[in-house]
Amino acid sequence: MSIELGHFALILAFAIALVSAIGGLLLWRRGERLALVLGHASILQFVLVAVAFLAVVQAFVASDFSLALAANHSHSLKPLIFKISGVWGNHEGSMLLWVLILVLFGALVATFGRRLPSDLTNLVLGTQSLLVAAFAGFTLLTSNPFERLSPAPLEGADLNPVLQDIGLAIHPPLLYAGYVGFSICFSFAIAALVSGRIDQAWARWVRPWTMLSWTFLTLGIAMGSYWAYYELGWGGWWFWDPVENSSFMPWLAGTALLHSALVMEKRNALKIWTIFLSIITFSLSLLGTFLVRSGILTSVHTFASDPTRGLVILTILAVLIGGAFLLFAIRSPSLRQGGLFAPISREGALILNNLFLATAVGAVLVGTLYPLLLDALTGTTISVGAPFFNFTFGALMAPLLLVLPFGPLLAWKRADLVAAGQRLMGFAALSVFLAILISALGGTSISMVPIGLLLGFWVSFGAIAEVIERSRLGRIPLGESLRRLRGLPRSIWSTALGHFGMGLTVLGIVTVSAWETELVTTLNPGETAELSGYLVAFDSFEQQPGANYVADTGVFTVTDPGGETATLLAERRTYVASGMPTTEAAIQTYGLSQLYLQLGEPLENTHVIRVWHKPYILLIWIGALVMAGAGALSLTDRRLRVGIPQRARKATAEAAQ
Amino acid sequence: MPRRADKRLGPMIFWSIAIAVTAIACAALFYAAAGRTVNATGPEMADPNDHFRLALAGIEADERSGKLDAEQALAARGELAREMLRSQSEGRARADKEFGRVPLLVGLVGIVALAFGLYAVLGQPDLPAQPLANRPEMVAQSMDLGEAISRIEARLAEAPDDLRGWQVIAPAYVELGRFADAANAYRRIIGLSEPTPDLQSDLAEALLFEANGAGSDEAMALLRAAATADASHVRSRLYLAAELMRAGNYPEASAFWQQAIDLAQGDEPWLPAATQGLAVALNDGVDAAAQQQSEMIQGMVGGLSERLYAEGGTIEEWAQLVRSYLVLDDRDAAQRAFDAAVAAYPAAFDRGDLDTLALGAGLTLNGDTP
Repeated sequence: MSIELGHFALILAFAIALVSAIGGLLLWRRGERLALVLGHASILQFVLVAVAFLAVVQAFVASDFSLALAANHSHSLKPLIFKISGVWGNHEGSMLLWVLILVLFGALVATFGRRLPSDLTNLVLGTQSLLVAAFAGFTLLTSNPFERLSPAPLEGADLNPVLQDIGLAIHPPLLYAGYVGFSICFSFAIAALVSGRIDQAWARWVRPWTMLSWTFLTLGIAMGSYWAYYELGWGGWWFWDPVENSSFMPWLAGTALLHSALVMEKRNALKIWTIFLSIITFSLSLLGTFLVRSGILTSVHTFASDPTRGLVILTILAVLIGGAFLLFAIRSPSLRQGGLFAPISREGALILNNLFLATAVGAVLVGTLYPLLLDALTGTTISVGAPFFNFTFGALMAPLLLVLPFGPLLAWKRADLVAAGQRLMGFAALSVFLAILISALGGTSISMVPIGLLLGFWVSFGAIAEVIERSRLGRIPLGESLRRLRGLPRSIWSTALGHFGMGLTVLGIVTVSAWETELVTTLNPGETAELSGYLVAFDSFEQQPGANYVADTGVFTVTDPGGETATLLAERRTYVASGMPTTEAAIQTYGLSQLYLQLGEPLENTHVIRVWHKPYILLIWIGALVMAGAGALSLTDRRLRVGIPQRARKATAEAAQ
Repeated sequence: MPRRADKRLGPMIFWSIAIAVTAIACAALFYAAAGRTVNATGPEMADPNDHFRLALAGIEADERSGKLDAEQALAARGELAREMLRSQSEGRARADKEFGRVPLLVGLVGIVALAFGLYAVLGQPDLPAQPLANRPEMVAQSMDLGEAISRIEARLAEAPDDLRGWQVIAPAYVELGRFADAANAYRRIIGLSEPTPDLQSDLAEALLFEANGAGSDEAMALLRAAATADASHVRSRLYLAAELMRAGNYPEASAFWQQAIDLAQGDEPWLPAATQGLAVALNDGVDAAAQQQSEMIQGMVGGLSERLYAEGGTIEEWAQLVRSYLVLDDRDAAQRAFDAAVAAYPAAFDRGDLDTLALGAGLTLNGDTP
């Protein structure tokens, strides 16, 4: 009965969302009472969808195969954690998770937004309810997770083995929290366009939500990348796969939104652009959902290849995005532009950031959609591979990274570029020195590597320039400097940390691309191979049963250049229920570098072994974690800061430029 | 009896809970608007100056704690004042009349109608939950097969004439791959009952499995007996035909294939295999289809290799070429194609499964740059 109660709860939530959407969007001027009703309705939606979600989880845990979803994607022998994460390891269940996070954000707005003006509340909650109604309706009518089977089968068909991993418990919820969080920015943007009013209350609401969503999305993408790295067995951490791209585009747009919302919150400028970015960012999140579920793509991410579903999502997408842009086109001319600023100023630097990021979104979008469109229109299959993305994306990111350290050092409204440059000189010199030193030691022949290293060091060091500048480190007594450091607003720390994390990621990408080594060979137990000073000895080969799989295990002893040894187990698993194989690579960490060992197909009398040495690869994800930490830190800071312009001491010099 | 009562009670309890949940939700929404007076903490923008007051207090706090110096604080206050003037000149939008009861009630009725209407279409309120732990047939199945077998074996050791026991244990032995025991069990069953064609085929099947598919005289005799006893027995004829094919006795094999095909209804899963078997048997054991296929592969490979060597291609195409040569057993050509693929894709990462395929077939990896 719990399954049917969950089903009813989801339907009731859909009904409440649909009615709230109509009420909120049509009667938004009707004041505070409506706001209270919509607030309660949002919380009710969350409670009901949570009940529905728990009902499905319960059915998975109890192996209730009268639920078709459990019969198709679960198995009674699966470990408990994978029974739970298996709920969203499929199309229907992941839609339910998507809706759950959507209503969670709606409930959060209703709870924390009690002091917002009532017309804004009505419009925001109305739009949010419209999204809930659209996606809950889509879930119920085209991909209902509560479909039943009678008679119930005796055993489930099991979850795709690649997904039977702790990564599935973490990656999708984080990613969805990021995607769906941007729906709040979208709803606020719609509210601003409908009501025609954007004031500071609007601005101070949008930025924290952007920051929160961006933080989750950063973590989600980093987690997904690490998961692909260790699970897919190829040792690659980013494939420019269309599905990866479709999570990366909202991240790029969200990063731009984050910076433009900053300008808007502190300086009340860039309002229309911020609204535009809010719509774009959420639209890109929806596009990602569409690509994954339409059956257009095939990758590890695509679980639903049902064209009718794709068509329905495309319709929802067209109506929501098209409607939003139509509204934007009609209403944005009547919105008031914000504060003025000189081209060389913090605002100007952030606009530059936005231009580069927006262009990068465009480049990735073209690279992702062009092959799909070409295939659909002419039937020609082309593949836009890593070289295209590496080149265009790299070419766009290099100048952005080059100017990045200047931004935080520029003052709001009008700034002195020369002074900022002088303050960065020391760091620039240090970066050049390190880049040359490392390139010389690493013995590289690829010309782009020193430039990449230079950019990485420059961004990392430049990020701490502002903190050092503000603490007047070295110019005043150390104790005084430390006191100043402690007193710095958390937003400044957050900026420095975020940019520093970016630098770390760049360094990781450059070093691993330049100095990665790989070895493919055939080995028998008792034989050894060598790669970059690491001695790999194949000790033994065993077959042993696991919980719901049979594993071929290769036992290896790796001796590192320092003489230390470690035992590594690389597995190939064959899952009992599906008969599908997976590779479990063995990864040994040496500081920030890793040795990655994969046991290939068993051959008649030997084994194919692949070994990679990946120098400093962990920097890629550590950098992402630092960026996400910076986002979290920023959320703890006091809001309502006013951007402080510098006194126009050199007004004449500025005017001359 | 209690299970039957459950069946009728289940939907009733479900509907009661569903109605109660809906009623609570509607009440919560109704009283949110109508019951209480408006929340005491008004919205912060009701008085637009509130926002500026908060911002000003923030600037003052920063100035006191030394985060802003006097000059910066002055500038910040100036910015704030400018923003305040702008916002006052704009004025506020006037709210319409308050949200009344009529639209609220219409909304609530809409919610109730929509929820119950949609559930009536989509839901299955009378289908009970069936968690694995509550399903007796599953509990019986989940009992360890080995344990069950040893229990039955113990009983059969005491009462070797227990026909039912042998009937249960024989297919279980087959399932576990203990074909000799299975053959023995089927012999006992035939001894204790009548030798039906099905039982004879079962025994022959166990014997065939035990000999890894090679038919013994005993198995052939059993199958022939089964086929003779029942003119419509398909399984024995299929086994006979397959076994005769293996032995090279094509005329007799084709006769049994033909008989089996004549007995088919048209949708049996074995029918395509039987039809192909008949064709091969009539062709004296030469598979014309396979020959054709090999010719086709050769033609395709020729075209593919010409293009790949001339213009290059994707790694999948190279892998296909190598695989085709291996199928045709042309190892030199396969090695040449593999070398060309390695030259075209020097990084092992790009080559993907091709390496595994090639090394697995015993080709050597030349010119790789690790």
